[in-house]
Amino acid sequence: MLKMRLILAAATLAALALHAFARADDKPIIIGSSIPLTGGVAAFGQHSRWGAELALAEANAAGGVLGRKLEIDFQDNRCNPAEAVKSVTQMLATKKYVAILDGLCSSVVLAIMPLIERAGVPLVVANASATSIAEKSGVGGNKWTFKVNPTDGSMLDALIGWLHKDGKANNIAFLGEDTDFGRAGSTGLENALGKRKLKLATVDFYQKGTADFTAVFTKIKAKKPAQLALYAVDADFQNAIRQWYGLGGGVPLTGRVLVDQVPKEIMESGFLDGTTSVQPYDPSVDTAANKAFVETFKKLHNVPPILISFESYETTKVLIDAIRRAGSADPAAIRDALVTTKLPSMLGTTIEFDDHNLAHNNAIILTIKGGKVVIVGLSKT
Amino acid sequence: MDLSVLVQLLLNGVVIGVIYALVAMGLSLIFGVLEIVNFAHGEFYMLGAMLAYFLSAGMGLGYWPTVLMVTALAASLGYVLYEALLVSLRGESFERSILLTLGLSMVLQNGAVFLFTTTPRMMLTGLTYRNVTVGDVRVSVLRLFALGLGLTAFAALYLILYRTRVGKAMRGVAQNREAALMVGIDPRAVSRLAVAIGIGLSGLAGAALAPVYAVHPLMGFSFVFKAFAIIIIGGLGHISGAAIAAVALGILESLVGGVLPLVMVDALAFIAMIAILLFRPQGLFGRGVRV
Repeated sequence: MLKMRLILAAATLAALALHAFARADDKPIIIGSSIPLTGGVAAFGQHSRWGAELALAEANAAGGVLGRKLEIDFQDNRCNPAEAVKSVTQMLATKKYVAILDGLCSSVVLAIMPLIERAGVPLVVANASATSIAEKSGVGGNKWTFKVNPTDGSMLDALIGWLHKDGKANNIAFLGEDTDFGRAGSTGLENALGKRKLKLATVDFYQKGTADFTAVFTKIKAKKPAQLALYAVDADFQNAIRQWYGLGGGVPLTGRVLVDQVPKEIMESGFLDGTTSVQPYDPSVDTAANKAFVETFKKLHNVPPILISFESYETTKVLIDAIRRAGSADPAAIRDALVTTKLPSMLGTTIEFDDHNLAHNNAIILTIKGGKVVIVGLSKT
Repeated sequence: MDLSVLVQLLLNGVVIGVIYALVAMGLSLIFGVLEIVNFAHGEFYMLGAMLAYFLSAGMGLGYWPTVLMVTALAASLGYVLYEALLVSLRGESFERSILLTLGLSMVLQNGAVFLFTTTPRMMLTGLTYRNVTVGDVRVSVLRLFALGLGLTAFAALYLILYRTRVGKAMRGVAQNREAALMVGIDPRAVSRLAVAIGIGLSGLAGAALAPVYAVHPLMGFSFVFKAFAIIIIGGLGHISGAAIAAVALGILESLVGGVLPLVMVDALAFIAMIAILLFRPQGLFGRGVRV
């Protein structure tokens, strides 16, 4: 009788242990993400989330990774470095995240880089474009940060090269937000122009959230530049572009102009004809993979993807691919797998990281002709 | 500097100054009568702009009906706000008024983010892209409308305060609440009216500027801090002082922004405020007696 009871107890324990083991194996792989879900650039945060969620949904629909489902835990950073440090510190303390995705804003990424390095968890950057992120990563720097989107420096070099061959890179005025994004834009342009023995005509920064640009635009207009490089996003961009139009700016824009956000009336008026822009993405890129992505995205959200959604989608795919190749959810193994990434991009190149953990995808050179945006070329960054 | 550039900068400055004045006058009026610093004032400006956007884009209302309706609704909101929240506050509960209005500001701002998201919107009218051009000087028609509305609001407020019995009562309550009560003035009714006018002016500013600036839930934040600096410079509770300080600041910002880096412009209001607090704490026009 006693023997019978012992056998029964052992069998129960074994069953419980097996069940617990099976449950541990069923647990989803969790990726952390700190993006602005509220605040001035929450609209971009929303697109970042949609892009990452689409990549995740596709991977989960195909059976997940390592036999487990994938999940992303999004936390709000309001595009504020202090908020991001708080949320990422909390995420890292729980030790349940295999990697941290993005940050969206350059200042945020630069603030959280030391945290992820100390914790030994990979940070995969999708949207932040400051050149200094790549400069501080990889060889001699932070080995846990990987940047999939091109830097401002590399994109602007491609754009200035394009303008210079037609003799149009001279006498450019610069106006940008006083953040790492805007500062990276001015430095990137100065470096790209410097390589060609040229200089910016004027440089001005504004406080993010500025509503009125009439004074600075009057000043810039009086200096009669050939082009204006405008580094503004969201509400600032909407205010700036309307006021530039209202003051009859008279010269085209250049730099990383958000051509897809120019009001229809201004675009169709031909006022911005001759504008050139360099972007990491445009929904009209003519590849089969991009067409499928745009169609799926539109079906899900009733709006076309913007560059933020594209970058987050493709970056999440890079991370999922690394987890798959790592063969484990161990952050160190995932980092090692990221180093050897070779994944086809929707833009026709292969995503591979250089010594500074920076990928060199194509940049899209756009121009406005007859009130319409036209892709004039792809240029390797 | 080219003369046309100087004229353009001056014109830009006057328009911006009158826009500042619209927001600052309401803030000053509420402080003058109730001795309450309304930290939620910028959010009423934002709500005015949001409401104007939805009335125009959603219901197809024209520019002038939208401006009138938003101003009336904002004034009604001020009336309700006073009776619901501010009625229990007096000058002696200054800390409570700060906490209450700051909390209200957070609720309104985050409520707007929750309901409308932070996506910037633009109120489009038939005049959105119309400009008046004289030589090399250009200004948009809608900015001129905002200028006209601001000047009209100032004239109306001045007439109410100095040419009507209600205005006299407001000034009486501002100067001595107890004495006003003793001579038969109802301080509660007067305070309610002051809050209704103050919030109404904020709503008017929001409606006038909805077609000029992008409309989003965070737009009130930067304006209200500048408005605080303006009413301190002009003299707390002094309506004309606030209006003059606002226009002067608008012109100064425009002229400085036309010569020096733009990032220095934002500091101007606060540098002027600190200087005033150091050398003339009652403000440029303050005489110890408000409104």
